Amino acid sequence: MSTEVAKTKKIKELIPEVYRPVFGAAIFFVLMMVAFIVSAPEVFLTVGIYTAIFLSLPLFTIVGLSLVYITAAGEIDLSFPSIIAISALAFTWTLQQTGMNFGLAIPASLLTGCACGWVNGLLVTRLGLSSLITTLGMNFALVGLTNILNNGVVRGLTDINDSKIRAILVGSWGPMPAQMFWSTGIAIILGLIFHRHRFGIHVKVAGDNPEAGRAMGVNIERTKTLVFILIGLCSSLTGIFAVLLNSTFFPTMGDGYLLPTLAAVFVGGTPVTGGKGTIGGLVIGAATVVFIQTGVVAAGLDGYWTSFGFGLVIVFSLIGHRRFSGKLTR
Amino acid sequence: MNQSADTPIVSLHNVSKSFGRVFALEGINLDFYPGQIVSLVGDNGAGKSTLTKIISGTEDPDSGGEIIIDNEKVGKWSAARARNRGIETVHQNRALSEQQSIYANVFLGREKTNRFGFVSRKAEIAETEALMRKIGYTSKVWNPTSTVNKLSGGERQGVAISRAILFESRLVMLDEPTTAMALSEAAEVIEFIRDLKKAGKSVIFISHNPWDAHMVADRFVILERGKVVYDAPKGDMSADDFIALLHKFAKKDQL
Ligand SMILES: Nc1ncnc2c1ncn2[C@@H]1O[C@H](COP(=O)(O)OP(=O)(O)O)[C@@H](O)[C@H]1O
Ligand SMILES: [Mg+2]
Repeated sequence: MSTEVAKTKKIKELIPEVYRPVFGAAIFFVLMMVAFIVSAPEVFLTVGIYTAIFLSLPLFTIVGLSLVYITAAGEIDLSFPSIIAISALAFTWTLQQTGMNFGLAIPASLLTGCACGWVNGLLVTRLGLSSLITTLGMNFALVGLTNILNNGVVRGLTDINDSKIRAILVGSWGPMPAQMFWSTGIAIILGLIFHRHRFGIHVKVAGDNPEAGRAMGVNIERTKTLVFILIGLCSSLTGIFAVLLNSTFFPTMGDGYLLPTLAAVFVGGTPVTGGKGTIGGLVIGAATVVFIQTGVVAAGLDGYWTSFGFGLVIVFSLIGHRRFSGKLTR
Repeated sequence: MNQSADTPIVSLHNVSKSFGRVFALEGINLDFYPGQIVSLVGDNGAGKSTLTKIISGTEDPDSGGEIIIDNEKVGKWSAARARNRGIETVHQNRALSEQQSIYANVFLGREKTNRFGFVSRKAEIAETEALMRKIGYTSKVWNPTSTVNKLSGGERQGVAISRAILFESRLVMLDEPTTAMALSEAAEVIEFIRDLKKAGKSVIFISHNPWDAHMVADRFVILERGKVVYDAPKGDMSADDFIALLHKFAKKDQL
């Protein structure tokens, strides 16, 4: 045991502190993959499972990226699943009303998402409400609103199946679903902003010591509001991708995102306490979560094992991050 | 009470500040002139920090009070505006984001960026390094990319002070900068205040150490329970006389 501790220490010192959460998440991911391959080689050594995973992984990644921002800013957002649904509705409805005009439908959806995020931001920063409770309430409100506006219709969009835009956004580029490239691009942009842009610094300061930020002239309220808007934007993108993938809108579209996406943030090594975060870690964390979700079922296990797997992964990865990155994840 | 013919950098006219029922400041009238070092003293709770926060734009005064900068009445005063007008503050709580790097803290709110807002890390790190060497805070254990939570209390204060002088400041306010410092570090701060004066800058220095306060000052302002009870140039007042003066006010306070 003590030699093991010494070893961890040595490995730790080789890696600069800022990259430790990413390395921790990556090591965890590799261990999990080894476990999957050993236990079900017939599934995990074929291409099919990876194609299946790459179809849905980008949707979790895109919205998860924005959750790293809000966590680092010391707030939380539980309303993103319902923003996914309502902006997916805005997208679908506009397509149907305009005879499949993507040039209108995409902005309509993005605006809807941003507007929801903006309302969250105003409630939290102007009225000083808790973001946990505000966005919990907002989630209920938007679920209700989505169903009221949708009026019980299942909206099939068979006409878009051979549209060009659909091929560009969710078609196949070689063996890889197009959305993988899109989510990679978005991750790079949001990663650069988070780790290298003035805005990213202000987000982290907002979560670490907002008073210090204010004293230095940083507009903490505006920073937080922009992060809520970013969540709206990313949720809307996920909603658009989901509609295109399914060629259908259904009002429960956002269900099933809440817990896995939040898990991806923390498994990725972003601490719950704010002031820090890692975009690279989120990308790995999202992969971890989606591999469990898809992998457990593909391995022929009952779906309940997915939940069980999430539980194990969250607990073990937090223990790992704590040992590996020290204070960072406390 | 004009110590100088120059126009004041900052004038406070009838500034008050209450927190609920507590009056932290009541009817303050003060002028701060270029090139002058003011030692601001007073008991705990006298309102010294509140005064610096109002000048630095982090707290709004109660209505009726006015902040005048370079003879111009300012409308909405804010921390960003204060910094733009050359007013820098080392707050009592240091105002550092401990999970961020030293250089990120030094440039917080004033990041060196390209035109898209991306931070020029190399330039920020190099400037931070040069600055810290200049004011004598060097170390083998940490460098500009280390996070602030690795530093001792005195070193953190060093970061906060570096930040205050990096930019072209005209008035530097230091709120109890030497608390939590080793004696040698405190001596550096005093030296540093003298350098500021040589460079023609104004300083508002808050300290509980009467010798330090006396040594650097051109003028004394004593605050008590939110009011200015003494405001005069140092003249040839000795340190002993100054301490006797402080004691006199402290005694009065008890009666
Ligand atoms: N944010 C605040 N909320 C409530 N009361 C405050 C606040 N800031 C200062 N005070 C009160 O105002 C008075 C002056 O405080 P302060 O300016 O910090 O004094 P000093 O710096 O001279 O010790 C004290 O009674 C303090 O309790
Ligand atoms: Mg104070």
